[in-house]
Amino acid sequence: MKNVKNEPAKKTASGVPLAIIVIVLIAAAIGGYYLYNSSKSTPAANRAATNANARPAATPVNAPPGAQPPNTLGPQTAEVTVEEFADFQCGSCAAVHPTLKELQSIYSSRVRFLFRNYPLAIPAHDKSYEAAAAAEAAGLQGKFWAMQDKLFSNQQAWTANPNYRQLWTDYAKDIGLDVDKWQADAAGLQTKSRVDEDLKRGRALSINSTPTIYINGRPVPYESFNVASMRNLIDAELQRAATAKANPGGAGGGAPASNP
Amino acid sequence: MTEADEIEDRGGVAWLPLAAAVVALAGLADSIYLTVHALTAVPVPCSIIEGCETVLTSPYAEIAGIPLAAFGAVSYFLAFSLALMTAFGNRGLWKFFGTLVVFMALFTAWLLYLQAFVIGAFCQFCLISAATTFTLLIIFVISKLRRA
Repeated sequence: MKNVKNEPAKKTASGVPLAIIVIVLIAAAIGGYYLYNSSKSTPAANRAATNANARPAATPVNAPPGAQPPNTLGPQTAEVTVEEFADFQCGSCAAVHPTLKELQSIYSSRVRFLFRNYPLAIPAHDKSYEAAAAAEAAGLQGKFWAMQDKLFSNQQAWTANPNYRQLWTDYAKDIGLDVDKWQADAAGLQTKSRVDEDLKRGRALSINSTPTIYINGRPVPYESFNVASMRNLIDAELQRAATAKANPGGAGGGAPASNP
Repeated sequence: MTEADEIEDRGGVAWLPLAAAVVALAGLADSIYLTVHALTAVPVPCSIIEGCETVLTSPYAEIAGIPLAAFGAVSYFLAFSLALMTAFGNRGLWKFFGTLVVFMALFTAWLLYLQAFVIGAFCQFCLISAATTFTLLIIFVISKLRRA
């Protein structure tokens, strides 16, 4: 391509820019391809998960405890605790929900799972605080996890629906709640204060995105939010706990166990 | 003086188009990242300041099944090529760069409007792209002002 104005004095070799353009095109294609593949197979996640020694720092133990008693699954005395902070209107929280459910069924006897409400105050999440209160209200009837499951599994249906309250009421009926009590509780102070207590804990931990998951107080990298990677992390913690028990002298590597 | 002379008045490589090429390159990388995200539909975490999953999975994020970010990637690549060719002497291409960038900026303004008033969420990487496009527009306007 030559200069359209035909100025011989300004003539520059057009081979250089053309070569750069071709290089950029190839780099873009390779980069895009690599990114696409790594997004699908998440090798980085597996690497992070298998490298058990590179544990991130534990969360501060002096953070507020969150709502008491917390919403938990699994034995209270478990050596390993998985703590999730989530927002019911968050798409990635709904996406990670099946992963956590699978982990909960695999480790139901050995690991304690905690759910913390962390409704984000952003315009797109206009119903997330209310949803958290609705789940807590189900919790007052011992059905927190069933409601949590309903809300995440049907998120697409209610999140942008003006009749979301009707849908929630249907979920409440489905899981066998006393609907009148549930509705009163959802609007009541007790459920809101539980959500607020969870929020206080999350803020003290400087959480700025959901889902945020801790295994024994250590944050799980977002790209490890899949069953295989999280199993590796949980197994490593179980192993560490077993080693520490067998050898109380300090084979745990000196890392303090933190149990929120 | 011709337009070409005014763009390049320091000899060698014209620095404004070169700067534009570098900025367009950043925009290209950003939009490739967004395209891959849209294609693999890997949800990104919801955060206090952004809502990429909301924005990227909204019905506005694609035309005929093709992610908008892919159009962005093509546009940035074109802008990069035109700016680089200009920088290396093909001065006549600068006005095509300008036309392209004006269209990109108009489209970006529409996307910002959608994020602010329709979707109600912003996406960090979309905002980076907006900043990149407006930077390209500013570079083009500066080159025109210097001429005046």
